[in-house]
Order: sequence, then C-alpha cells, then structure tokens
Amino acid sequence: MLKQYPTLRYILQRGGWYFLTFLVAVTINFFLPRLGANNPVDIIMGKSASGLSAENARIKEESYLKEFGLVKVDKGEIVRNAEGKPVKASGLEQFANYIKMCFKGDLGTSFQKYPKKVLDVIAEAVPWTIALQLPTILFGWIIGNVLGALAAYRRGVFDRVFFPVALLISSFPFFVFGMLLVYYFAVVLNWFPAMGGYAQEIIPSFSFEFLRSAAYYYVLPFFSIFLILAGGQAIGMRSMGIYELGTDYIKYAKWLGLKESKIIAYLFRNAMLPQLTGLALSLGTMISGALITEMIFSYPGLGMAILTAIQNNDYPMIQGCTLLITISVLIANFTVDILIGFLDPRVKAGLQIGKGN
Amino acid sequence: MKKGKNVTVFLMGVLLSGLLALQSCGGGKPKEPTDESGSSFPRTKTLYLAGSQWGDPNTFNPLAESWQAAWPVGDRFNLMYEPLLAYNSLDGKIEPVLGTLVSKDNDSIVVDLNPEAKWSDGTPVTSADVKFIFELGRRFKNAATAFTVEFITGINVAKVDVNGVSVERLSFIVDKKGRNNPLVILDHLQAVRIVPAHVFEKLLSENNNDLSAVQKLKIDDNPVVSGPYNLETYSNEKIVVKRRDDYWGAKAIYGGKLPGPQYIIHPIFKSNDHFAIALQKGNLDASQTFIPRIWLKKKDGVSTWKADAPYYVPGSIPMLLINTTKAPLNDKNFRRALAAAINYANIKELAVSGYSPDIQPGLIMQSGIEGKYFSADDAKTYGVTYNLENAKKMLADAGYRSVFKSDGSLDYMTDKAGNKLPTLSIKSPAGWSDWEAMVSIAVKGMRDAGIDVREGFVDAGLYWPALPSGDFDLIMHKPAAAVTPSLPWSRFESIMSSRNWVPVGGDNKMNENQGRYNQPGTKEYNKAVDSLLKVIPILSDDAQLTEAYRQLNKIFMQDQPALPLCHLAEQYYEFSNANWKNWPDETNPYAPPLLPWIGASTKILWQLQPAK
Amino acid sequence: MKILKNLLKSPMFVTGLVLFLATIILALIGPYVHTITMERVGPQYAPPAAQYLLGTDDLGRDYVSLLIRGLRSSLYVGFLAGIIATTVGTLLGIYGGFKGGWIDDLINMITNLFIVIPSFVILILISSSLKDGRSLTLIGLIIGMTTWTWSARAVRAQSAALKSKDHISLAKINGDGTLAVIVKHILPYLASYVFMVFILQVASGILSEAAISMIGLGPLDTVSLGTILNQAKNNGALGDGVWWAFIPSTVIITVIVFALYLINTSAEGAFNPRLRK
Repeated sequence: MLKQYPTLRYILQRGGWYFLTFLVAVTINFFLPRLGANNPVDIIMGKSASGLSAENARIKEESYLKEFGLVKVDKGEIVRNAEGKPVKASGLEQFANYIKMCFKGDLGTSFQKYPKKVLDVIAEAVPWTIALQLPTILFGWIIGNVLGALAAYRRGVFDRVFFPVALLISSFPFFVFGMLLVYYFAVVLNWFPAMGGYAQEIIPSFSFEFLRSAAYYYVLPFFSIFLILAGGQAIGMRSMGIYELGTDYIKYAKWLGLKESKIIAYLFRNAMLPQLTGLALSLGTMISGALITEMIFSYPGLGMAILTAIQNNDYPMIQGCTLLITISVLIANFTVDILIGFLDPRVKAGLQIGKGN
Repeated sequence: MKKGKNVTVFLMGVLLSGLLALQSCGGGKPKEPTDESGSSFPRTKTLYLAGSQWGDPNTFNPLAESWQAAWPVGDRFNLMYEPLLAYNSLDGKIEPVLGTLVSKDNDSIVVDLNPEAKWSDGTPVTSADVKFIFELGRRFKNAATAFTVEFITGINVAKVDVNGVSVERLSFIVDKKGRNNPLVILDHLQAVRIVPAHVFEKLLSENNNDLSAVQKLKIDDNPVVSGPYNLETYSNEKIVVKRRDDYWGAKAIYGGKLPGPQYIIHPIFKSNDHFAIALQKGNLDASQTFIPRIWLKKKDGVSTWKADAPYYVPGSIPMLLINTTKAPLNDKNFRRALAAAINYANIKELAVSGYSPDIQPGLIMQSGIEGKYFSADDAKTYGVTYNLENAKKMLADAGYRSVFKSDGSLDYMTDKAGNKLPTLSIKSPAGWSDWEAMVSIAVKGMRDAGIDVREGFVDAGLYWPALPSGDFDLIMHKPAAAVTPSLPWSRFESIMSSRNWVPVGGDNKMNENQGRYNQPGTKEYNKAVDSLLKVIPILSDDAQLTEAYRQLNKIFMQDQPALPLCHLAEQYYEFSNANWKNWPDETNPYAPPLLPWIGASTKILWQLQPAK
Repeated sequence: MKILKNLLKSPMFVTGLVLFLATIILALIGPYVHTITMERVGPQYAPPAAQYLLGTDDLGRDYVSLLIRGLRSSLYVGFLAGIIATTVGTLLGIYGGFKGGWIDDLINMITNLFIVIPSFVILILISSSLKDGRSLTLIGLIIGMTTWTWSARAVRAQSAALKSKDHISLAKINGDGTLAVIVKHILPYLASYVFMVFILQVASGILSEAAISMIGLGPLDTVSLGTILNQAKNNGALGDGVWWAFIPSTVIITVIVFALYLINTSAEGAFNPRLRK
C-alpha cells in the first residue's frame, strides 16, 4: 500500500506514531496527578475551613466535590452510599467526561482559580509566554549561529577569545544572571524597570504608549535569557562548522577561490541542520513557560500558572496546560522528523552543547 | 560595525515582542479609562498598594468564597462592599461604617443603619440588604456566610427616631441555645460585607435559585457597591479601583470630604523581593509583606509603624501545634520540655528580622488591647522559658533518656520504660522562609536538649490537608491570624476547644484544636477549659474577664498544647512618603497599621496627601 | 593513549581538568581542612571576616561550611543524574538506532512522552507520596529520568549512522545477535561519544538542580548550591547588597560547569581529528 508514494507513506507513518504518542500522553497527564496523595479539595479546605463547625465544613467540602465533578451526581443531587457519604466519581468516569468536554472545546474550570475557565487562563498567559521567548530563542539562535560559524571559519585570535567566553557565558546559571541584571540595572543604576510586563499605569491596548512600555520592560528579561542561549548556540555551531570545514567540498571551494562570504554561506547551510533540530525543539517546549524568568521579573506568562496548578493539584488546569504542551512539542518534533527525512537522508547529527532550553 | 548590527537586531526583537504583546491584549477586557488625561493613571492621583492579591484575579463576586474573590472584594476588604462596623485594632473601639453600634449585651447586638447609606445605583442601603446576606446561610447551606447562622437566631428591625431622623435599628439576636457567643457576632458584623439584595435576588431568580450558579458569575462589570471605590479595570498584572465621587459616606461620615487618591492600583507580583524593590523605587506607596532587615531600607524612604524594633505592632502568634494523642507528645512534661528547648531570642533575631517583642510564656500578648489580661506573675510561676539545662532536667525527671552516637551526636531517645522513641517531625510548608527558619531553630534547640526531632518541610499541598486531619507530630500554624474583637478568646478557642473533638484517623477533621488536646470522656479531661471558653464571650465584668483569661492561660502554660514562637504583626505595614504622605505611624496613630481597606484603617485614604 | 597525550597538549583540556579536579578535591578534603559546622556562628548575614571567611547566612551559619556541603550535594546530584540520563539514553538510543523499524518508533514515542510530561508533575507527585519528602537523591533521580531523552536522541543518530558501516554488516552476516553486535561493535565506536554525552549530562544536572531549587522545589533534607541561592533570594539578600550570599555559590556552579564544558569540547577535538587545528 502506498508503495508508489514513499514520501506520503513516510509522513503518514510518522504521523500515526505521533498521534499514538499524543493519545498516550493525554491519558498519562490525566491520571498522573490523580495518583498523588494530595487531593485538591483537601488543600482548599485546609486553607479555608479554619474555624468552621464540623457540619459547615462537611457541607462546604461536599459542595466543592460536586462543583469540581469529583463525586457522582444524579439530577443535581450528590449520590450517597448507605452511610450517607458521597460516592466518589471513578477516575475512568472523570476521564470520559474530560474527553467529552474536550471535544466540545471546553477544558473545564480551574479549581484554584475558580470560577475562571482553564481556556481563559491559557489565552491570557500564552501570548506573553510567546512574546517573551519567541524573539529570545530566534535571535539567540541566529546570532549564536552566525558567531559560531564565524569562529569556526576564522579560527585564530577571534576564536581563541570568543570561544572560551561563549563557553563561560553558557556555564553561568541564567537565573542568577537575571537577578544580577535586576540588581544592577534596575536597583542600582535605575536604567530599566525591575519587574512587570509593562508600566503599571498603562492598560494594555493597541497604543504606541503600551507598545513602547512593553518594549522597555522587555529589555532585562530578554537579556537574561538571550546571552546564555546565544552562547550555547554559538558553541554548537562552531563544532559543526569546523566539522564541515574539513569536508572536501569546502576545500574544493577554497581551492576554486570562491568569495569568503559565499563559502561561509555554504558552511552555514550545511552545518545548520542539527542546529535547526535544536531550534524546533526549543520552540516546542517554549509554551510551558519560562517559569524562573517570570518569577525573577514578575513577568506575565504560563509558567507560574502551571506551577501553582501542580502544587495545588488543580486537575483541570494541569490537564489543560499539559494538553497544550503535548500538542506543541509533538508538532515541533514531528516537523523535525519530516525535515530531517527530507533534507538529510544521511541523518547526521553532531554533539551539541546546550540543549536550547 | 558588528556591534551596530547587533543593536539593530536587538531593537527588531524588542519591536517584534512588543507587537506580540500587543496581540495578546486583543482578547482581554480592558475598558478605556474615563480619566480626562486619556490613556493612563496620573501618578499624583494614583495610590499604589500591594500585598493583598497574589495570584490572578479570578472573580469579584461578593458571594464567592473569600479566598476565591480578588482584592478588594475577597477577605475582609471594605473598599467596594462595606461591613456594618469597623474594628480599630489599636484602641479596641468599634467604629461606624454602614451602621453604628448602639449596644451590645448577652441578648443582642444593636446597630443603627445609617439612613444616608446608598448603593452606587442610587437605591438606599436598607435592613433588607443586611438581612439578605446574614440569612443567606439559612437559605443555602453552602453560602460563604453560612457560618453566621449558628450564632444569630434572627435580626429584628425597628424604625426609631435618632435626633429627629428616622433610622432602621437592627437587633442581632444571640442564639443562646446555639453557640451563645455575642463576641463572635461582633466579629461577624465587622467582617461580613453587605451586598445589594435587589441585585443578587434578581440574579438568584434568573438562575433558578441556584446559588452555585450565581457564585460562578464574576460581577466585574460596573458592580453595584456602597463603598468609596469601585472596580475600574483589571488584568493578571494589576487591579485598578476608581474613587466614587458620589460616595454616600463622604457627606455622612467624612464631613463632605472625598478620599485623596482618585485611583488605587494593586499590582500583582510573583516574588516576595519585588515589594521591597518597588517601595524603594517609589513604584509602590505601601505594602503589607514581610521585608527582611527593614532598617536597611530606611535610607530609601521605606518606613514602618515604629521607627525601631520591633517595627510592627504585634497581633498574631505563629506556633507549633502538638499532636497530643501521640506518645511522647501526650506527656505534658515532655511538651513543657520542648517549650524550654526553643531559643526564642534566635527566632526573633534570625527568622523574623527582630519584628517581635521578647515573648512571654502563654497565649496572651503582654501589650496592646489584650495586655490587660496578661499577668507577669502567672507567666513567671507557670510558664516555661528558654533554658536548655532546665529542659534536660525536665526530661530526665520525667524518665526520658537520650542516647548518643560515638561521635557525640544524638542518636535516639528512650521513654520511662526504656523503649526507643520514634524520631519526631515538625511539619511546615516548604518555601515559607520565615517559618522554615523558625522550625530549624526550634529543631536545633530541641536536639541540643536531647530530643530526637527533625524538620519536616512538605509541599503546601500536603501541609494544608495534614492540619485538620491531625496527620503530624508537630506542625507550624498561625491560628486566629486576624485581629478581631474576639481576641484573645478566639486564639484560645482555636487551640484548646474540645467542642468538636474527634480522634485522628479516617475522614475525621478538626478545624480548631488540630492537636486534639483535652479529649472529652477521659480521666485527664479538664472540664474547666471548655467551660471557660464558653463563659468568656458572655462575661462583661472586666475583673471577671481578667480572672477567666488568667485561669485559661494558666492551664495553657501548665499543659502546653502548643508552642508559641514569636508575636508578629497581624499584617506587615510598610510605606513610603515619596508620592503620598501622612501615613499613620506610632507618632501619628490616627488609624491602625493596616493597608487602608481593612477595618478602621480605611480612613487613611482621607488623610493621605500628594507629596508633591 | 595517543588521544590522552594529545589531550594533555590542549590548554583547554588541561584548564578544564584542573578546574574540575579542584572542585572535586575541595568537596573531598574540604571537611578535613575546614571544620564543617551547621551551628550558628555569628549574626545574620555577617560580612566575610577572619572567623567566617565568606560571611554568614540568614541563620548566622558559616558560609564556607555551607558551600562545602552544597558542593558535595551538587556534585552528587550531577553525577547521579548524569549516570542515569546517559545509561538510559545510550541504551535506548543505540538499540533504537540500530534496530530501526517499529522498535525505533516505539522508543521514539517513549522519548517524546518524557519530553511532554512536565518534570514538576513527577517531582511533586513522587515527593508527595514519600514520607520524607523531597530528598537530594530523589531530585537527582528525577533530573536523570527527565533528561535522558536528549542523550537518547543524540546517541540514536550516531548509532543509526554506524549501522550501515561495513564491519557491522559483516558481523551481522556472521550471525552475531543484536546484543552481541551492539556490545562488540557499536559501543566501542560510540564510547568516546557517550563519554562526552555523560559530561554534558553531569553539567546539565548540576544546573538543573540549582534551577529546581530556585523554584522552591529543591531538596529538603540537605544543603545544595541551589538551596543556598534560593535561601538568599527568599531573604532578599541581593537587595541588601549581601553579595556573599550569591556570588560564591554562583562562582562554584559556573566553575564546575565551565570545567566540564572545556573537557567536553577539547575531548571532542581529540576524538574527531578534523576539529584539531
């Protein structure tokens, strides 16, 4: 079947495996949080029931259980066992309900951010997460690779200075770097704001003022990730570049006396494939948020939402966020697989430093 | 050359990200500000305060649970929805808001509703509104205010003439067969915020009388409120409220004056250290967060209530609750030895930056409103203070013996019968750095005294459920955290009351006395504790009251069901004069040291003046 | 032997090795040179002085003691995570790459699953079910269990490329089983590569531990370089100019990771002659 269309067959086969992965991932991400010892309603009750009478606390707890769909409900009433205790909804029943809701495009209501919809939380946070990371990853990647290629080609003094510096930069824990940036540029020099995504006196809107403010507030978070990311990319590209330099076609090109810029362009193109893989992977995992950067800069984004959801066992939030992560990572990896299949039948890869996270 | 290129690329990045950020706001809910200046909130008219809202604002529904609703609707904030009364935690007086306290006795608490009080839609605030919220718990068992039901049998309304004006007089009838506790009713009158009955009755009927459905509404679009501010706009980064220039209280309470700030912005930070930075930079005017080493911030214009240690006014007591059902913690001599092994001076200095006075044994603070119930003699006679030698002696006298390893470190402890005791663990939420430090210092002292105990830092998701179910040896807790009229009774109640006593195990939970102290029906049961807790709320004679508190505190010190560690502020209170001046402090104590949306501190808003 | 000789001629390798050995030596003999004490020795955040060379922390403890303890913990976590990530990743990667077909696809699927499930979920879940909460070992295990995916991908690519080499085809014709071929013919070829993967995984494990601790999910049973940084952050040390709470631990982390990176790149040069000048 499909033997005459090997390309299509390849794509379909890969796609099939990815779809299977998706199904398994969704199932695991649904059941995993429910295996833990801490139950979300217990957490909420522990926080909010102080001073309540036993009777009131029981009523409150049952109303949460009902509201969150954790007990069986019949005609708006909780189903009870012989002792009058609510009958818990089994994991399988909850799963069936979750899948049904997903098909309706409803990811449910957060427990911890009640009555906010999971979809709303994601819709509010994801644009910031992307805005923070997409440019950082792209420019870190481009500049890192350009510098890496240059270092590989030029070698000499440039390389001998540049390379150890790039190594040192990428060895630095990025969160301390971010904190030092805040301390020096925001607190001591007062050049840039210390935290937030835009000035507090501004309401987000399609205005120049908001744009300018967002750009200003973006500088420190950007640099806190950018430098270390670019350093890592440069090292990887340098290794790949040197490897490619030794290949016959470059020697031939040099012997032919081609222009330097042209040779670098060749070099770049051929060394880039593994780097491209890394790029796609970091774009895929990007959606889960830059949690530590968000914390250091009080920057809006999804990372904090995921952490609090997991800490409080907010099942619908965890499910919603992991679904999003699953989809984006799998799409990125699928794209990589297809790209490699097309561009590089040899499926070569080199050792890269830094995994671009 | 190359550098120039980098800068260009960087600028492009900034631009791109700006565009993306812009896109993100398309789906938001921003309302165009109605201010004449157009797009922003002018600094001279805007007050920036923080610390009351930590996560995303989720709902502004006053019928939602108080932990769900965002500032300034949740908790006991009174900027939008007002309570009847406000408590002044400095002098203990009850101040008028929507109502005025007329009398309080053991039969009823009488409050006159202010006849001028109006909702923002122009309709007057009436007894129907008050009845609506207090009786909601009778109609719906899951109402957030259902806890008032077991205290109040009903509200009687009468029309009376006060200085020629007809006012509604509300009598909250004490449920004598129930809890019989007028003291807690007073707490409720300053905590329960009145909501417009006409609005919520309509919503209820639109939703088939289903309270859960109404609780799901966000009530964030021009809500009907009675307070001096109303919701202007909000996002996950901040909440903005705007002054209501037709606020009824301006004329009726504040002599025709409006609050100073036109806007109040509450930024939402994700990290504790951002409050200090924002205060120092003048981006924040006041905060209620724990900022270590506050004296170092003085040069940057950050002030506190007191200019010197302990900087804040004590109001709440973090402590270690002890599971009194477990051996050896069921032995009060052992518990007293624990109390003698904790270096309280170290806790004060290292864990809370010196923000506590030197504490005395017992559950009553030696200063402030409750100071009048404190007896230094009792503390000396019955209390235990830090003394390692004494702790060791108490343990030895009670038959406990420490066994050491060959390198001199503690191995384990044995009881009277020579049995090896298990290692005890102190549960505390991981990441709460001041609590972690308190626990570490306590563990250190106890181990020095030869007691085998370890830190048990757990994720908050395990900490919270462990508390009511009694799943701990010792656990960090701060009972009765808010300063209300019922202190210090409510503190004793939440540690010593056996009213709902159930053993540890199964689904059993206790929301007070989580340490299961004083089990009823046993021969050790001390009836005096519960009868004192029952009688104090209905005592009005000061001498009797003092005597009752002394009795209770004496039993606490003798039995030591918990280990108080330090006396901290109810809420921290830091302010900066850079943009707004005339904040209350020890030299100018016109309002309690709280942010201006709690209790009697709201009046701060009328006293603030722009600094420039 | 020749490779080692070449390596020792590389100044980068020598620098990396010396730096790395220095941290190991510090961790090993530190406790014998400096008395480790977790007791209070001075006031909160006392600046460096004769009796406490790197000052004190928020609980008045000696930072030198804390740093030596922290370094030991961080090295332990790094090696634990590195060993797990390299072993699991290498085995799955070689097997998948060599076997190909549906086994390769299945392994690829498992790899993707581990990328997709956030490591926090596993960390919080497991630590909530253990009585003792989050231990250092648990954190090492979880870092290892979530970072092997990268080694698997890297090794798989190499092993797939090797598969078509002549001597391996020959071995297969000779009737050697899969395992035999892998052990006899593929592993030796990949040994240097796997060694470099291991070095990078150790470095990444040390950085990951620090990052996890910064979020507040660090080990609860001991001091690590990450928990030292987290304590300093929670106590607002930076804002008060308490540099000794941050800089020494940051420098130690950077030096270890830098040393490992230097070893890795120079080793890469030695194993792959084209990278040599």
